[in-house]
Amino acid sequence: MPTLSVSYQDFCSLLGERIEAEELCRKLALMGVEAGISGEELRMEILHNRPDLLSPEGLARALRGFLGKGRGPPTYSLSPSGITVRVDPSVRGVRPFIAAGVVRGVRLSGEVVASLMQTQEKLHEFLGRRRKGSIGVYDLDTVEPPFTYTTVEPEGISFVPLDFGESLTPAQILRLHPKGREYGWILEGKERYPLLVDRRGRVLSLPPIINSEETRVTEKTTSLFIDVTGEREREVQLGLVLMMTSLAERGFSLQSVRIRYPNRSVETPSLKPRRLELGEEEVREVLGLDLGARRIASLLRRMGYGTEVRGKRVKVLAPPFRADLLHPVDLVEDVAIAYGYDRIPPRVKGVNTVGKKARVEELSDRVRLVMVGLGFTEVMTYTLTNPGINFERMRVKGEAVEIANPVSQEFTILRTWLLPSLLQVLRSNRKHPLPQRIFEVGNVVLLDEGSETGAVERRRLGACVAGKPAGWSHVKAVVEAVLREFGIRPEVSAVEHPSFLEGRVAEFLWRGRRLGVAGEVHPEVLLHFELEHPVASLELEVEALEELKEGKEEG
Amino acid sequence: MELEAHEARVLLFLRDRGKAWMEEVEEGTGMEHSAVMRAVLGLVEGGYLSVEEDRSFLLSLTPEGRRYATEGLPERRMLERMGEGKRMEELLSSGFREETNIALGWLRRKGLVEVVGGEVRPTPEGRRALSERWPEEELLSRLLEGAVSLPGLTPEAELLRRRGLVEVRERTRRLLSLTEEGRRKAGEVRIQEEVTELTHELLVSGRWKEVKFKRYDPSEGVPPLYPGRIHPQQRVIEEVRETLLSMGFLEIKSRAVESEFWNFDALFQAQDHPAREIHSNFTLSRPSTTRVPPHLLRRVARAHERGVEGSTGWGYRFNPDISRRAVLCSQTTAATVRYLASHPHPPQKVFCIDRVYRHERIDYKHLAEFYQCEGIVMDEGLTFRDMLGYLKLILNHLGFREVRFRPGYFPFTEPSVEAEVYHPSRGEWVEVLGAGMFRPELLRPLGVRHPVLAWGIGLSRIVMMRLGLEDIRDIFCTDLEALQNWGLRGG
Repeated sequence: MPTLSVSYQDFCSLLGERIEAEELCRKLALMGVEAGISGEELRMEILHNRPDLLSPEGLARALRGFLGKGRGPPTYSLSPSGITVRVDPSVRGVRPFIAAGVVRGVRLSGEVVASLMQTQEKLHEFLGRRRKGSIGVYDLDTVEPPFTYTTVEPEGISFVPLDFGESLTPAQILRLHPKGREYGWILEGKERYPLLVDRRGRVLSLPPIINSEETRVTEKTTSLFIDVTGEREREVQLGLVLMMTSLAERGFSLQSVRIRYPNRSVETPSLKPRRLELGEEEVREVLGLDLGARRIASLLRRMGYGTEVRGKRVKVLAPPFRADLLHPVDLVEDVAIAYGYDRIPPRVKGVNTVGKKARVEELSDRVRLVMVGLGFTEVMTYTLTNPGINFERMRVKGEAVEIANPVSQEFTILRTWLLPSLLQVLRSNRKHPLPQRIFEVGNVVLLDEGSETGAVERRRLGACVAGKPAGWSHVKAVVEAVLREFGIRPEVSAVEHPSFLEGRVAEFLWRGRRLGVAGEVHPEVLLHFELEHPVASLELEVEALEELKEGKEEG
Repeated sequence: MELEAHEARVLLFLRDRGKAWMEEVEEGTGMEHSAVMRAVLGLVEGGYLSVEEDRSFLLSLTPEGRRYATEGLPERRMLERMGEGKRMEELLSSGFREETNIALGWLRRKGLVEVVGGEVRPTPEGRRALSERWPEEELLSRLLEGAVSLPGLTPEAELLRRRGLVEVRERTRRLLSLTEEGRRKAGEVRIQEEVTELTHELLVSGRWKEVKFKRYDPSEGVPPLYPGRIHPQQRVIEEVRETLLSMGFLEIKSRAVESEFWNFDALFQAQDHPAREIHSNFTLSRPSTTRVPPHLLRRVARAHERGVEGSTGWGYRFNPDISRRAVLCSQTTAATVRYLASHPHPPQKVFCIDRVYRHERIDYKHLAEFYQCEGIVMDEGLTFRDMLGYLKLILNHLGFREVRFRPGYFPFTEPSVEAEVYHPSRGEWVEVLGAGMFRPELLRPLGVRHPVLAWGIGLSRIVMMRLGLEDIRDIFCTDLEALQNWGLRGG
């Protein structure tokens, strides 16, 4: 979840009142924002669906309403700036959309600049995969409109980027500038790069990478030009609205900009509210609360909506920065939040169903009981593993489910059997006294072309004995003990298995099904796991252990 | 008074003799000194024995003493050489200087010579001493024949000891004598054989009546036994499972390999949602694609792109190839939604406890593979109040008495809620559960027309609270020492 840090002082002044820290955190939580205070700093976790809360200004705006001060949606005055951005057709295949706006009457202290930069950063995170929609902020007085949003060849121009001493071409920026290296992948494969310039050809930025140094915003700046570019028009518009309404909360005034695409024009930002509707019936159905339309309207106003009551329904005006309203149920949640999650009376409507354990768990529980009765200690290990442990160390070859983006070389496949995991447990217990008797009842995952997902899980019992009594006869006795509990008398036949000592390994079969294998582990395998005492082990299919009818034994 | 075995043996040894030195008892019974000592103390306390201590001094010659014993004391030799008197220089120049000084010293100390005007002359006592044999010389020659034992240190013995010519060892011997009681008791005693084990032979032959069984000290340690054990995490899982079963929930299982369709798309998580980025879950190179039911795929695609009745949807272009990609399941919600798709009619109460995978580096707060517990309740007329009610019920049943709620967000539920429980030992509220009512955009494509309450419990957190762990990796601890000694505590 995105986190926001803001100074407690600054936040209280934006809020318009000073609330004691712990009380503030509790109120924020009831609004849906988990907050904590550390010294002078408020740290908050913002839910993914509320980008309008990603700035201290937006958060203060919401909290003011929630606490009952300031009713209804905020109104922002917006006048046309007269400034135009001409969009060149070449951006279409590169980074097709742009929205822009102007903010006047700006007074920037160091604190406000820092807050602005954090908001920009958070919005970038929200707009998805880092800079898919990206925001640029410039000192308007350093450039001359009208602006052009176009593309340029990688070596086609050169300018001084932010925080860099010399003039670079776009290609060089991607190679040499830290931001270029970090975000250059977004422009990978493109033959031309996006560029925003003014009427004199002065570069404002190379979206989405970096602004130019000359247009840098400082504490002396009094007018801002803001642009948002990206691949989806909806996100781009939203990004601009979020940025600008946030700034408006600081008291600055907003102006719109005309974006001239090749075959249409649009004035951005659009601060038109969205129109929705909600009725008493929907609220009752979803929340289980009997609220009249007037009450619903009053609760919605606390959440920053405009309302008009029409009988049993409420016409709702949602502010332009509310990006999360897909369905009336989203409004219902806001009604619940305003009502107070701590005030909604819980109830339990009886739902008549009967509980039942999953069959594989039932079988597993019975197997565990037998193993505990035989004095084995249960271990639990990961299914994530690597071919070295799962195959090579065991002297076998095989195939497994493979991970395309592993975090480390330690976990690149899913295990196909339990034995290697158990040997690893023995390895980490080399200093522990003998005998060691361990078991695991867990899943292995096998490739299976016939299944819907291409793989299938199998629940297995695996066990190892190190130290006396070890050896074939003991481990065979353990297998027989487990199977006997399920009324199974298996056939045993010698097999060859590279992980086991020759002549000391066998398969267990029943009704034509292979139940599993047991034997004395091969010395080379033991050495690979750095084990110095003999180990005998077994592995059985748990789901093959079916109860015989009426507990009768069969040969 | 009941006698111990070793006391009885000593008593028996003394029965016919009446008295004996302790060394004789040790030799005669073959018992160790400490055992005899213990027996003696016991017998004395019982009034059967009295002990006399006999201290003696054992003298033996040191090498220097041996020399003087053979050659004669230096002062005697000097006295003999002196005659009527000799000049000091003459005396000092003859023989060993050191010895001469010693001799002279002693002669003067004993008053046998006097020094007058540089000349050393024997005194009348000295002239007499010449013809006498001195006691220390007597002792020295006795010692030449062997060590001498004296009841007390005589003056000459002390003298020789001070001069380093003799070594003195003090010895205490104990003489053990039976008292009247002791004599009587000795007549009664019969040695019983002491055995450690009751054997089959002793039992069937009846000889068990004749033998004495060694007494054990119950406070002495014995090698520990460890019973076979269920893994602590498994025990917590079983506790949660039992709680839900007893509330009428049916258990279903999840899949390790899942399609993006069930893991995300069917849950109405947009394909470009941040949580879906390649960083937070494992994609697979093998298998690389899965099969997805085409009619469901179509319906879900439409919900994403255009929404369902009353909804705008996410408004982006849905890509079915992404849907078919294989991933490691990152949330058990995939299993419950899959279940709903094939059981869309009420009533349903279903839960799933299974492992999920997240693309994380393992550290004290994160695992790449861990357990989740997910569940749903579906019925006509269920509301958000029932959501809160069920959550409270489940958490209360799991032993959490204080529960509180706050708003949350999940892409597939609305309204959503986070539940916190009070952790008394840490004195803080901990988030343990996320829940909500499935969105209409999720339910409609699957053909579900009734409200569904859905919740997910962070099992790892509950396991850590139950086991008192601070580091999440300890949940999968494989140290046998720890596994055999872990206790569970209340949440």
